Amino acid sequence: MNFHGHKFALGFFGAVFVVWVVVMVLLMRNAALPAEATGTMLAVFDPKVSDTEALRIIGAAQGKIFKQSGLSFAWIVTADEPGLAGRLKSNGALGAYRELPISPALAGCFAVVDTKVEAIFH
Amino acid sequence: MTTNTHTQTTPWYFNPMTILVTGCLIAIVNFGIRSTFGLFTLPISVDHQWPREVFSWAVALQNLVWGIGTPIAGMLADRYGSARVLMAGAVMYALGVIGMNYSNTGLVLDFTAGLLVGLGVAFSSFSIVMAALGRLVPPEKRSWAFGLATASGSMGQALFIWPVGQTISSYGWHTSLIALAAMALVIIPLSLPLLIQNTNKSATVKGETVMTMSQAIGVAFAHPSYLLLVAGFFVCGFQLAFITVHFPPYLAEHGISKEVAWLAMLMIGLFNVVGAYMSGIIGGKMVKRVPLSAIYFARAALYTIYILTPISVTSTLIFAACIGFLWLSTVPLTMGLVTVMFGTRYMATLYGFVFLSHQIGSFLGVWLGGKFYDIYGNYDQVWWMSVGLGVFAGLVHLPIRELRAKAFAAA
Repeated sequence: MNFHGHKFALGFFGAVFVVWVVVMVLLMRNAALPAEATGTMLAVFDPKVSDTEALRIIGAAQGKIFKQSGLSFAWIVTADEPGLAGRLKSNGALGAYRELPISPALAGCFAVVDTKVEAIFH
Repeated sequence: MTTNTHTQTTPWYFNPMTILVTGCLIAIVNFGIRSTFGLFTLPISVDHQWPREVFSWAVALQNLVWGIGTPIAGMLADRYGSARVLMAGAVMYALGVIGMNYSNTGLVLDFTAGLLVGLGVAFSSFSIVMAALGRLVPPEKRSWAFGLATASGSMGQALFIWPVGQTISSYGWHTSLIALAAMALVIIPLSLPLLIQNTNKSATVKGETVMTMSQAIGVAFAHPSYLLLVAGFFVCGFQLAFITVHFPPYLAEHGISKEVAWLAMLMIGLFNVVGAYMSGIIGGKMVKRVPLSAIYFARAALYTIYILTPISVTSTLIFAACIGFLWLSTVPLTMGLVTVMFGTRYMATLYGFVFLSHQIGSFLGVWLGGKFYDIYGNYDQVWWMSVGLGVFAGLVHLPIRELRAKAFAAA
């Protein structure tokens, strides 16, 4: 076996990560909500955008903060009037998506779906 | 018992590097798919108007079947070759996942998500891949290859969560399960290069003793060092499963937000990749029992420090990073010790029994965590139990004799 192990590992993980990024970009493109969508959604901003600027954009789009996502560049927002997704984008958000069903449970060696976790966090 | 020498010329697709890449991809897919099942709890339960326990029980069953199925898969892999077992596993995995779409009762879900997926995970698991790699990679690179395969599985856990969450959100859980079933089938072509590793007709690695499987199992279970390894890996399962399931609610009870809990679990996942890889490197450079013992002592120390100091965001994230680093770092070293003691011929089988002990520990870690919480209203007892078991595991690994077992030594 004539290769350098660490370079091989780095190359392998790097290649896997690149494929993952491509898949994610494609998924996110297809997953973006249409401009006329409204209700509760995930508003995503450029990570460089400050909290103040993100709040200004949400306000300008006539949206309200529903809850924090835990990520500074993504906010869960809501509105009753149609077209929130389009207004968010035209005011500077990168896009609007449906909220992800992520919960703080890691499926490790024993991936039990714990009802207690669901009960506490949802 | 005789010694068999075996030489073979290899075309490019049977090249160890090709096999290493495909093997690691199998580990990513196998671990990645099963790590996403938590995301389906809510949508499937809501659609079927089931209490969450229905789905939870099916996944718990899946984990037990995975544990029981691993030595069986190992025996089949050692007899008929890893590739065939991985392919059969991929089919069961895909059937189980797609079957979840048609599971309209809890019992059917137990069959699909529990039994079929559990067997699928066991038969296409990275331990089968690692056993194959162990035979194909030169001894000096073996520990590194184990580390790489384990790190790949860890990476799969981290990589699958977001895209699958996004797919459920955008296209619904039915479509997501179809996509995951298709991903499971990808294991079939990825297993093709491992066909070279078909050990049927007792084609053993150069210089290794030939004996029957039942002889090998008998010798292993009469070998004190193997029993110590089995006992130690039980602790690994106990500690990790307890954290996996009970850590987020523990954090919530100490006023830590959902976002920090999520970040902590993410950090465990990411540091796990680094830790698993590093452990493979370390295992290749020194005796394996010492770092393995150190990992368990370090876990015990970490648990002690964490529960004795005030729980804060900072302490939680530091704990998550450290425990993540030590998470699957036991695997390359444990597998490496099995190889040192018994060679590679029955590696999948003998590691399978060690892993079964791990899953029994996992089951008890989860169950006792919940049970003691219900009795005492907190997790203190189980945290301290984890500390005690960590010290126990640290101690039992020290006397392991890191030598080829006498009966397995080449004549």
